[in-house]
Amino acid sequence: VDVVLADRMQFAFTIMFHYLFPIGTMGIAPFVAWYNYRAMKTGEQQYAQAARFWTTIFAVNFAVGVVTGIPMEFQFGTNWAAFSAKAGEVIGQPLMIEGVYAFFVESVFLGVLLYGRGRIPAALYLASAVIVWLGSWLSGFLIVATDAWMQHPVGYTIASDSRIELSSLAALLLSPFAFWQFTHVIMGAAAAGGFILAGVGAYYLLARRYIEFGREFVRTGVIVALAASALVIFPTGDKNGDEVTVYQPVKLAAMEGLFKSEHEAPLAIIGMPDVPHRKLIDPIIVPDLLSFLAYGNFRANVDGLTSYPTELWPPVALTYYAYHVMVGLGTIFIAIAFVAGFLLWRRRLFDTPLMLWALLLVMPFPYIASEAGWVVAEVGRQPWVVYGLMKTQAAASPNVGSGETIFTLIGFIGMYFLLGVLFLLLTLRTIAIGPAGQAIAGDAPAAGHAGL
Amino acid sequence: MAGIVAFCVIAAMLTAYTLLDGYDLGVGAISLVLAKTRPERSAMVESIGPFWSGNEVWLVAAGGTLFALFPKVYAVSFSGFYLPFIVVLWLLMFRGIAIELRERLPGDVWLDFWDTAFSVSSLLLILLFGVALGNLVRGLSLDADGYFFGTFSSLLTPYAIAVGALAVVALAQHGLAYLAAHIDGRLGERALRVAGRVWWAVLIVYIAVTAATIVHYRGELPGAPIAFAAGTIALLSLLGMRSRAARERAVLTFRMSQVFLVGLLVAASATMYPYLIRPYPGRAGELTIFNASPPSGALAVSLPIAIVGLIAVLGYSIFVHRQMPAKVAVREEKD
Repeated sequence: VDVVLADRMQFAFTIMFHYLFPIGTMGIAPFVAWYNYRAMKTGEQQYAQAARFWTTIFAVNFAVGVVTGIPMEFQFGTNWAAFSAKAGEVIGQPLMIEGVYAFFVESVFLGVLLYGRGRIPAALYLASAVIVWLGSWLSGFLIVATDAWMQHPVGYTIASDSRIELSSLAALLLSPFAFWQFTHVIMGAAAAGGFILAGVGAYYLLARRYIEFGREFVRTGVIVALAASALVIFPTGDKNGDEVTVYQPVKLAAMEGLFKSEHEAPLAIIGMPDVPHRKLIDPIIVPDLLSFLAYGNFRANVDGLTSYPTELWPPVALTYYAYHVMVGLGTIFIAIAFVAGFLLWRRRLFDTPLMLWALLLVMPFPYIASEAGWVVAEVGRQPWVVYGLMKTQAAASPNVGSGETIFTLIGFIGMYFLLGVLFLLLTLRTIAIGPAGQAIAGDAPAAGHAGL
Repeated sequence: MAGIVAFCVIAAMLTAYTLLDGYDLGVGAISLVLAKTRPERSAMVESIGPFWSGNEVWLVAAGGTLFALFPKVYAVSFSGFYLPFIVVLWLLMFRGIAIELRERLPGDVWLDFWDTAFSVSSLLLILLFGVALGNLVRGLSLDADGYFFGTFSSLLTPYAIAVGALAVVALAQHGLAYLAAHIDGRLGERALRVAGRVWWAVLIVYIAVTAATIVHYRGELPGAPIAFAAGTIALLSLLGMRSRAARERAVLTFRMSQVFLVGLLVAASATMYPYLIRPYPGRAGELTIFNASPPSGALAVSLPIAIVGLIAVLGYSIFVHRQMPAKVAVREEKD
């Protein structure tokens, strides 16, 4: 097996599994802070229980996110040594800042959140919840900014020995590409968080258990899901697309399945890319729309794939399908959020079982859409690891063979399978137990501090 | 100059990691041996529960800092130690999951499984970290372009094994002292008593490793004065643990164990200086702070940002440690 392919498979598998959990932590963290705030402000038992319930779910999510996240940083060195040697001065800096400024606060204050209830002043406890939320979003920003630099390198110089040096950290952090990619990603996570809340609430309503909690979760969840989904499309998704249009036109062409350059380029809603024959099979198109979306003008020219040498093409079919899955699922869950929001406004949502079922079943969609979006971003960036500067083919560790990589990939698959089962088991159990009577680690009497 | 600062920052972060994660790794390593009942095991895990995750971040952050400041070193060492690094990863994952999940389902079998996983993974991690440090200090056999693929047999030299043993006994002692300082009653007293016995092992291995290091280098060390001073401080604090005051106050024992570890790590760092990757024998492929040092341009920005951040981390970590209850009690056993 080609060693670079083995390295790519390992990275793809470990990062796609890992990313399931940041979606949850970045999406749920605001609700942990919100319910702790409500509990402190109103003094009502229900909010305190809700806070505790979501903290429990958040904690398992966070734990799996941490243990699957550490391999990501390691792999830059273990599997991608050539990339690290060439671009590490750039990539390492935001990652160092992420570790020092975000990962530390998240971990230290999550410890407070899990073990400090009733043992530290209430204001400090609430502050910890807010800090964990902000830490998780800051962490997300620095990771996305790192990726955005690989998508569209800025603020760098090439040294005499061909290493890439960062001449401006500010340029990397303030790059518009990074800003729009991050806002798109974080709104996707917030939408997922809203749908998780609404889905769990819908489950309680349908199961006729914890009706009060069910209503509260559905109400808050739908409002957040609606707002965040709208922001996923506009302006963040739209602006993200603009950045890709300008800086990565080949990726755009692959996403849209556009083989020939066209004025009045159509937007393909459905269709199968037939790469050998350079065409879409059975397409359903909207005429001229791609020209408008890309350039704000129905007659603008959009470069097709054939304008570029094939060795600069990303894997076309995968990029195309991932993009269409993202947009398709996104459209569905946004539509559901709008209908649910309307029913909520008309005060009919809680009595509409069909809609509650829809909210329950739509829960995986934001996850799949987020993962698919990352496939578009990363697979669509190929053949480059750093766009225009370094090919993926040249990035792998020269001294690690495919045998080692495949061996460790199999190890990761086994380990992550177990982790996934454990995560689901514990999360479903937490939901089954319900918000009343939640005990979290460190809480008396479950973990038994004497006298508390 | 920037290279020296960068070297010191990474050494300081690894020292902080050893101090902090060191006690919870040490607690893990001795937990099965020391505890007589399940509630005692739970009390041990609970005593580190709020802190272990934050402590472990020091390792991740040190990794990120090494990546940013010495990318070539990051690339060479992580890919050179490919399989050992992946094993460390898996152990870290297993251990983290064990701590977080052990109490999330009721039942003794569940608890016993995760507690065993916690203890074994903690012990193996300490051993692997120690062996890795031993190899770094002793020097690695590299090929000319500095890449190397470590075979297990080339890494398991007597010196590296001795440093691994030192890591195990020193952190076991550290964990025991932590428990003695944070758990009242019989368990705390037992921890202090066992720490007193482990002390002899620490002393013997420490002297052996120090002697072997001196023989290995025969005075060819730029950092020798610092290494000797730090080694002496380590020895004094180790001897101080036998003092009457320390034997009566567990907190003092723990503090002295902290000083001992700082001394060890500073001595090891001074022995390494100015190497990041030291070849042995010969000099081909060496990476020092001079030839691996990154250009100062962005470091003038990122490194100060990181240092300010680390000071803040120290501040709020101490604050959080102070805010949380100092003592953990052993739960009554239910029938």
